[in-house]
Amino acid sequence: MIKITDMKKKAPYMWEIDKSFRSDMNVPARIFATREMLDDVLKDRSIEQLVNVATLRGIQSAAIVMPDVHEGYGFPIGGVAATLWPSGVISPGGIGYDINCGVRLVKSQLELSDIKSRIKLLGAAIYTSIPSGVGKGGDILLSEAKLDEVLRHGAQKMVQKGYGFEADIDHTESRGCLENADPAMVSHQAKKRGEDQLGTMGAGNHFVEVGVVEEIYDEECANAYGLFENQITVLIHTGSRGLGHQVATDYIKIMMGKMRDYGIVVPDRELACAPFDSPEGQKYFAAMAAAANFAWANRQAIMHGVRLAWRDIFGGKLEDLELLYDVAHNIAKIETHIIDGKLQKVIVHRKGATRAFGPGNPEVPKDYRDVGQPVIIPGSMGTSSFVLAGANRSMELSFGSSCHGAGRQMSRSEAKRRVDATSIINELEHRGIHVQAGSLKGIAEEAPQAYKDVESVVNVVHEAGIAKKVAKLRPLMVIKG
Amino acid sequence: MRRYSYLEHICDIRLKVEADSMEELFKAALDGMNSIIAGGAAEGLPESFERRICVESMDYTCLLVDFLSEVLLLTHSHYNIFSRIEIESLSSSRLEAVLHGRRVEEFDEDIKAVTYHEAEVVKNSQGNYESVIVFDI
Repeated sequence: MIKITDMKKKAPYMWEIDKSFRSDMNVPARIFATREMLDDVLKDRSIEQLVNVATLRGIQSAAIVMPDVHEGYGFPIGGVAATLWPSGVISPGGIGYDINCGVRLVKSQLELSDIKSRIKLLGAAIYTSIPSGVGKGGDILLSEAKLDEVLRHGAQKMVQKGYGFEADIDHTESRGCLENADPAMVSHQAKKRGEDQLGTMGAGNHFVEVGVVEEIYDEECANAYGLFENQITVLIHTGSRGLGHQVATDYIKIMMGKMRDYGIVVPDRELACAPFDSPEGQKYFAAMAAAANFAWANRQAIMHGVRLAWRDIFGGKLEDLELLYDVAHNIAKIETHIIDGKLQKVIVHRKGATRAFGPGNPEVPKDYRDVGQPVIIPGSMGTSSFVLAGANRSMELSFGSSCHGAGRQMSRSEAKRRVDATSIINELEHRGIHVQAGSLKGIAEEAPQAYKDVESVVNVVHEAGIAKKVAKLRPLMVIKG
Repeated sequence: MRRYSYLEHICDIRLKVEADSMEELFKAALDGMNSIIAGGAAEGLPESFERRICVESMDYTCLLVDFLSEVLLLTHSHYNIFSRIEIESLSSSRLEAVLHGRRVEEFDEDIKAVTYHEAEVVKNSQGNYESVIVFDI
């Protein structure tokens, strides 16, 4: 049982468990949080999971969690781990089943007063335009050959097909395509699960949310991002759907069967992994990239649906809705970081964490490069969301990573027991937040009280210097599966 | 005898299964998973789909998880709830069975994956087999 006394405060908002805590740890475990947050964090087993991550072969500097941490399986959600390239391990559990689950923020030039009377119409139009809900397929049916093109080229393929504009690609992390993707490494079964899911949102915590910029904290960054007070925005949160889930399932099984051959022992089966430069590591990396590309294509297709709905209600051109940025939450990337004073290539695993590169980084789009990468942090249904700008200190502290959301604090079953969905809808309506949803059960599970206070989470990464607050968004209409 | 129940989990679903034989344990796990996915939606519908499966794994624990993953894949691929199973052979590393399913229009809950996270098939103090299975939802 891990206690607060096992943690040392290394800096404001940063705590560490020394690697001497357990004999199998290779690096310390690092937690970004306030002292008050630690009490809650220790209520579940997320820190024990973090200590397990610290045992992985080739892990560098520290196993890290963000303030939105909560218990997952294998890795905790909110986790960041970098392993040495090319011989360190890659672990599907360090990326998660929903590969490249992520969020994109779309901005309009309209203000609250322009849309207030038609917000419900807009919600209904978006709900009709985007298939959502449990197990729902969509209108884009792909042959395996066409699906392979999407897996190889990601959002770029969708833009070629007319589902968006080149400017969207410029504002997507990795330009919406990981080049090492290889569709041949994705099983037929995974493709079968994805064949009718492109352009669908799914259920759970996935959503489309229309919001308004309520507060600007940093004028310079807001100007660079094209954000202004009272501006209407649309937030899209979804991932690689069944295709990505199956890729993770397939490769965890493969790696579990091969670990003994590589002399790898892990404290939790869900940490199954393989050396990155092994055949299994390389195949998974190529399949994961393909699933990540599918997720970017999916968010691109959904944004197209939002644009069509927007044009139906407000007229104008599809380009009137511009993509501010799209970030991945569950992904592994090959990046270069300074470790022990030397430039070192590493395999950065982010599981429920957002890349947060600072000013000057060539990976940041040119028009944002002076201020840093947009970091988009969705709140829970009914609470604010935030836009931050990546800061260079993230490179020193967290392998260029930030938090990804509020983080759950109440189980789904407890939420269903304690929350009445109809009351939530009425309460939100009273506060000027409309909900369009397919399931009352989903509303209860995703109720705001089931999540941590997103503002406290965001303040930790802001105060720690990982990313700085730029703007706060207030929800107006939530569309859920 | 077979039974299942749900335990608390902060974001996912934790299923506890118990049975007096290994075959019944697998059936209990199938019942528990179907209850999450279908929520009763398939009750009363005629069986309309049949699929032979063969799953191979390292041990009973992995076999149980891999079996559920296989059923989940078929469920999602064919919009079927496979609520009845005829187990033809079961060893610590191999399961052969025939699944019988009912087509449904939609699911009650979207299980992304069956995880190995806390899975451990053990014999408990009553002499029954039991395990916990965490579903990523």
